[in-house]
Amino acid sequence: MPHTDPEILALLALGERAGTAADEDHIAGCAGCRAELARLADVVAIARHDGPAAQLARPPEQVWQRIAAAAGVTGAPAAGAPQPSPDAAGRPSPDTALPPAADGAAGGGPRARPRPARRGGRPGFPRWLRGRLAAAAAGLVIGAGAAAGVASVVAPAQAPPVVARIVLRPLPQFPQWQGASGTAVMRAGTATLLLDVTLHAPRRPGFYEVWLLGRDGVSMISLGDLPASHAGSFTIPPGTDLRFYTRIDVSLQSFNGSPVHSKTSVVRGSLPPAAAGGSAGAGGRA
Amino acid sequence: MRTAIAPALRLFRYCHRVDPVSDEDVSAAFTEGRPEGLGLAYERFGPLVYTLALRSVDDAAEAEDITQQVFVAAWRGRDGFDPHRGTLGGWLVAITRNKIADALRGRQRDQRLLRQIASGGATAVSDAPLDLLVDRVLLADELAQLPEPQRLAMVLAFYSDLTHEQIAATLRMPLGTVKSNIRRGLARLRSRLEADGAAH
Repeated sequence: MPHTDPEILALLALGERAGTAADEDHIAGCAGCRAELARLADVVAIARHDGPAAQLARPPEQVWQRIAAAAGVTGAPAAGAPQPSPDAAGRPSPDTALPPAADGAAGGGPRARPRPARRGGRPGFPRWLRGRLAAAAAGLVIGAGAAAGVASVVAPAQAPPVVARIVLRPLPQFPQWQGASGTAVMRAGTATLLLDVTLHAPRRPGFYEVWLLGRDGVSMISLGDLPASHAGSFTIPPGTDLRFYTRIDVSLQSFNGSPVHSKTSVVRGSLPPAAAGGSAGAGGRA
Repeated sequence: MRTAIAPALRLFRYCHRVDPVSDEDVSAAFTEGRPEGLGLAYERFGPLVYTLALRSVDDAAEAEDITQQVFVAAWRGRDGFDPHRGTLGGWLVAITRNKIADALRGRQRDQRLLRQIASGGATAVSDAPLDLLVDRVLLADELAQLPEPQRLAMVLAFYSDLTHEQIAATLRMPLGTVKSNIRRGLARLRSRLEADGAAH
């Protein structure tokens, strides 16, 4: 019979049940397939050795400055990186636009996707967050290394370090929620950023849902629903551009099966003001 | 039915992909000595070099020094790098290993001196097998380079208890796509280890 399907070998290497009895027989008798499986299993073992916490640590900012000085080059390592594009004038599409925040931060923007590209740098993370993530990662690695004597493990049991605390407040245009409040704590998780959201609001028919809002006032990412305790932990999808998705919003949703924002915002909060990675990111407002 | 991660991934398609500079472009800019070459190389491989150093010497300040030494030495000695014989990442890893070895040797010398002075009581120097460490850090680096959602599929395959069917349901991807993502992802990780890793 032909050699075992590489997809089956990959799944077997990951420890899954895959393939048929015929595959099993073939692998048992085929040195080539056995060797391939062993090589893939090695990769899996190396990947799993440190667990998902095994992220790379970013060197502190001053390291680049020292390198640049010693090598006689100038500029930031990601010189020429485009800043997030300022919101262009325009009105949000009325059927999807959310009520803007009182501070006007949701200024109208076109539905066009923001320019996500940034050459180099930690993708999609504003400067303030990059620094804190690096510090958090370094702290984990150093702490674990010191404890274990050998710097090759990362303590998995440590609570993920906090990188931002955000107060959530009701919006003036929703007087019915003026008693509501909440907090969002951002943590550097294993492979992702986590957001612990707590809401103080009366129980209402429906359920509360947590969102990230884009600066154009239209784009949004659903993080998930708050459980009945009104406290939940959410994962920020990897790759999310937090220079663009700068606000956290909790909505009251009806049990109507609609996956979109109900446009009833209960509380909202912004990532730290320094979040925009410098003045250029502040939305270009004069 | 909701798994723990499903809500977070529900609107995954809304995530923005960055388009990083390709490793080939970084390598070309570096090799040709273009002004931005060092910065691009540092952006791309700085965390790899620094993490390797940090986890070897277990001292942030020393790891920063090593990182600096590696990039400065690499930039000054870039004529010695032949892109036809290996990758820039692999070359930087080799330099990093040398600098780490230097640092650890220096430390051992200090330890011996201390022992002579104190006669006993000296702690053992960390001798974490560098080869294994290199492979693990390289793998973390390559994993981070995978495009989404392949990276996420690999992370879930490695670190969650989800089967590939559950990963497909979680990511709302066709089963066949998940399987081929996993196969290609594993193959790519293996290639990176073979190209730049300890055994190369």
